[in-house]
Amino acid sequence: MISYDNVEVRFDDHVAIPDLNLEIREGEFFTLLGPSGCGKTTALRTLAGFIEPSRGKVFIDGKDATRLPSEKRRVGMVFQNYALFPSMSVGENIAFGLSVRKTKKQETERLVAEIADQVELTRDQLDKNVAELSGGQQQRVAIARALVLKPRILLLDEPLSNLDAKLRVQLREQLKNLQSELGITTVYVTHDQEEALTMSDRIAVFNKGVVEQVGAPEEIYDRSATEFVCTFVGAINTLSREFVQRLVDAGATNLDPAKPSYLRREKVSLYPPRTGQQAIRLDGIVAERTYHGAYSTYVIESSGTKLIAMVTENGEAVLQPGATADLYIDPTSILQY
Amino acid sequence: MRNSSLRTMFRSPLVLVVLVVLLWFIATFLLFPNINLLVSTFFPGGEFSARAVEKLFSSERAMKSLFNSFLLAISLAVTVNVVGIFIVLVTKYFQIRGSRVLWLGYATTLIYGGIVLAAGYNFIYGRYGFITNAVRNVWPEVDPNWFSGFFAVLLVMTFATTTNHMLFLSSSLAKIDYQTIEAARNMGASTWKILWKIVLPALRPMIFAVTVLTFLTGLGALTAPLVIGGADFQTIAPMIVTFSKSASSRDLAALLAIILGLATIILLAVMNRVEKSGVYFSVAKVATPLKKQRIQNRAANVVVHVVAYLLFIVYATPVLLIVLFSFVDSTAVLTGSITLSSFTLDNYATVFGSPAVLRPFIVSIVYSALAALIVVGGLLFVARVIQKYRNPVTSVLEYLLHIPWILPTILIALALVMTFDRPNPLIGGQVLTGTTVLLLVAYIIVKIPFTLRLLKAAFASIPDSLEDAARILGAKSLFTFRRVLFPLVIPTAAAITALNFNSLLDDYDAAVFLYHPLYEPLGIAIKASTEGESNLDSMSITFVYTVLLMIIMGLTMYLVYGRSGGTTRRRKGRNVTPDAVANDPAAAAAVANTK
Repeated sequence: MISYDNVEVRFDDHVAIPDLNLEIREGEFFTLLGPSGCGKTTALRTLAGFIEPSRGKVFIDGKDATRLPSEKRRVGMVFQNYALFPSMSVGENIAFGLSVRKTKKQETERLVAEIADQVELTRDQLDKNVAELSGGQQQRVAIARALVLKPRILLLDEPLSNLDAKLRVQLREQLKNLQSELGITTVYVTHDQEEALTMSDRIAVFNKGVVEQVGAPEEIYDRSATEFVCTFVGAINTLSREFVQRLVDAGATNLDPAKPSYLRREKVSLYPPRTGQQAIRLDGIVAERTYHGAYSTYVIESSGTKLIAMVTENGEAVLQPGATADLYIDPTSILQY
Repeated sequence: MRNSSLRTMFRSPLVLVVLVVLLWFIATFLLFPNINLLVSTFFPGGEFSARAVEKLFSSERAMKSLFNSFLLAISLAVTVNVVGIFIVLVTKYFQIRGSRVLWLGYATTLIYGGIVLAAGYNFIYGRYGFITNAVRNVWPEVDPNWFSGFFAVLLVMTFATTTNHMLFLSSSLAKIDYQTIEAARNMGASTWKILWKIVLPALRPMIFAVTVLTFLTGLGALTAPLVIGGADFQTIAPMIVTFSKSASSRDLAALLAIILGLATIILLAVMNRVEKSGVYFSVAKVATPLKKQRIQNRAANVVVHVVAYLLFIVYATPVLLIVLFSFVDSTAVLTGSITLSSFTLDNYATVFGSPAVLRPFIVSIVYSALAALIVVGGLLFVARVIQKYRNPVTSVLEYLLHIPWILPTILIALALVMTFDRPNPLIGGQVLTGTTVLLLVAYIIVKIPFTLRLLKAAFASIPDSLEDAARILGAKSLFTFRRVLFPLVIPTAAAITALNFNSLLDDYDAAVFLYHPLYEPLGIAIKASTEGESNLDSMSITFVYTVLLMIIMGLTMYLVYGRSGGTTRRRKGRNVTPDAVANDPAAAAAVANTK
């Protein structure tokens, strides 16, 4: 459906993307994930046609779209700040693309009403000025404006970043549902790993203009291909050489203490594993406990490593700072690079 | 990445047309006249000649005027800052009773200035002024010319040029993060220590900028020395006007204008340099709005209140008297004895009843409106092109369009007169000197930097994503400009038009060189009314003119800045100037140069 073929993007002397190769499949919810300045938005804007690559090609539907003007690519885009036209009403904003195409008035009204229903905007809201809407409603207008032209591809540039936490969670579910309903190929840019993991069919993790890993959310999280992906996606413990050596001494022969080693917080258990699951027991001292409601985090000192454990206490005894704790670690869950 | 390449720019036919017209305008009206002025001064017969310089050194009047101009500029820089900073602090920083009323009094300079103000002071304190006559009725031995010379000019100009402080320093003050003041107080700092160590240092770049502007105003002062300076205190600008009237001394006028221009360029360059090295931006993520400070010391509080109200009287008296006198029979004003029976509507009846008397007013309105509309309309496209395509060509064009900013109006006017007094191929072999067009051209020229700067800022404040959004939805450049960008810059464009219109209405500096004798603008008519006893009948008419001007200007200021007293309230891009320049002293300079 979409492919970046050896794409290089330069801004004067600065190379933002050195050599991007990426395939995005039809109907897929594909996320470009990475920290600020990693090149993810540049990759998206290159696909939108706002940036012309200095080298390489961009294909859409098998056709070379590298030099194709953005309005001819049949892509819809939702901008980070929504880019709603402040001088127009909500309805006029949604109908803007249709008016450019000189769509008849009746047809425009029908299409606007139809898309407004889909994104759950009321008729009253269509007559309002965009400034009168809340952030969440503005976001719906931006989505409606992009979708009303029935694009082949929907591009979303951090569309949830301006919303508060609760609304963000609510809208990401609605966005994902809408995408599934329409079956539209969607490319989503975010720096929020949780958003990426919960919404995407596949994720490309960017770092300094380079894609470090492409894969399903589970692959990215559980089998991070590079040290960067492992530390960027999810909260993680960095293990000291001594700590890994103790695990090796205790029988974890698959590990090499000389390699950088990481362990996800939820993989550190304070309780014995269920039968059938292998785990090595080490001892440690509780330094701190923080209660989060659904779970607690413990800081435990063990062999020169301060491990953070995410624990669902489920009625188990709460360990107080200073208490000794048993740590149960499955050596196969340790990521080494 | 923005499409900034030359290639993309030259691909658009509309942009090409804009560029060609712009290049012609720059070459014809900005470059050629000024180069011509330099050439005719230093290469009069095709060869280099220092005759103008020799003439300058041998002319005692000219040398004296140079000295006087610098004396006035330096003195003004001190007095205007003292008064300006004080009035900003008492209206915007300290808790002073009736500060809104005080603000209105101090803001009177926003609605009248230049020749109108000089004439107003002259009619009140001058040789034939009401106060002078009233005093002489009691003490006949008082010198009728008491209000004349250096101190009179300094006094009038001090109270006339605090406008920059009112607009820009107030705005900078409002932008100070209040939490820095609270933090200082929390650490035990006194009111004065906070003012001295926190507030004033934060305002330093703007104070510097307005100081430079005040200095330049003093250096190029024309109307105040002309009307109030008397024979003993003449400065460069009035000398330029005098010398330019005779062919034999025109080179001297040009040289003086060049000196004025050079001084302006040097000072503005220094200002830009200082500005780059020390603008303090608030580091606060969320700045807290400033709250007014109580003066804790009771004695100090009383003194500040008394001085504030004394200054209010100084500012408000001329305005109130002008309004009053506009309803008074001129003989009563002249004799210095006004009774109830002196009040009349005759002056207004004369102005509105006689087309000849109303004519200068109409002429100025037509000139100002035309110039304001043309400059904004034309630069709307130019500003867009310059803001959108950033490349060496647009950079050079932008610099060239700032030429009027670095040159005093009288130099621009003189250069136009001296250049277009013969057929010129750049304008199809026409002669413009002596026609009605040249004053319009001058008005358009002097308004370019201010208009361009604010229009560019208006375009720049529109997020790029709006244009991207329109583009991805299929809109072409012109459609996007018309439907998306234009509606967003319209409030700013309208406000700039109004401000331009205002500042041209009472122009004297350009008009004195360029007006057509049959179409005498207001500035010239008002100046004429101050010249000697024979014109005293026109004094009452000038009062009416001034009242009308104040109404128009007050209304414009109200529409542009809203009802908040000209500070920080933002209404959909209307509040263009104070906010746009609060942290940009150079923009302040461009704005201030409009007056």
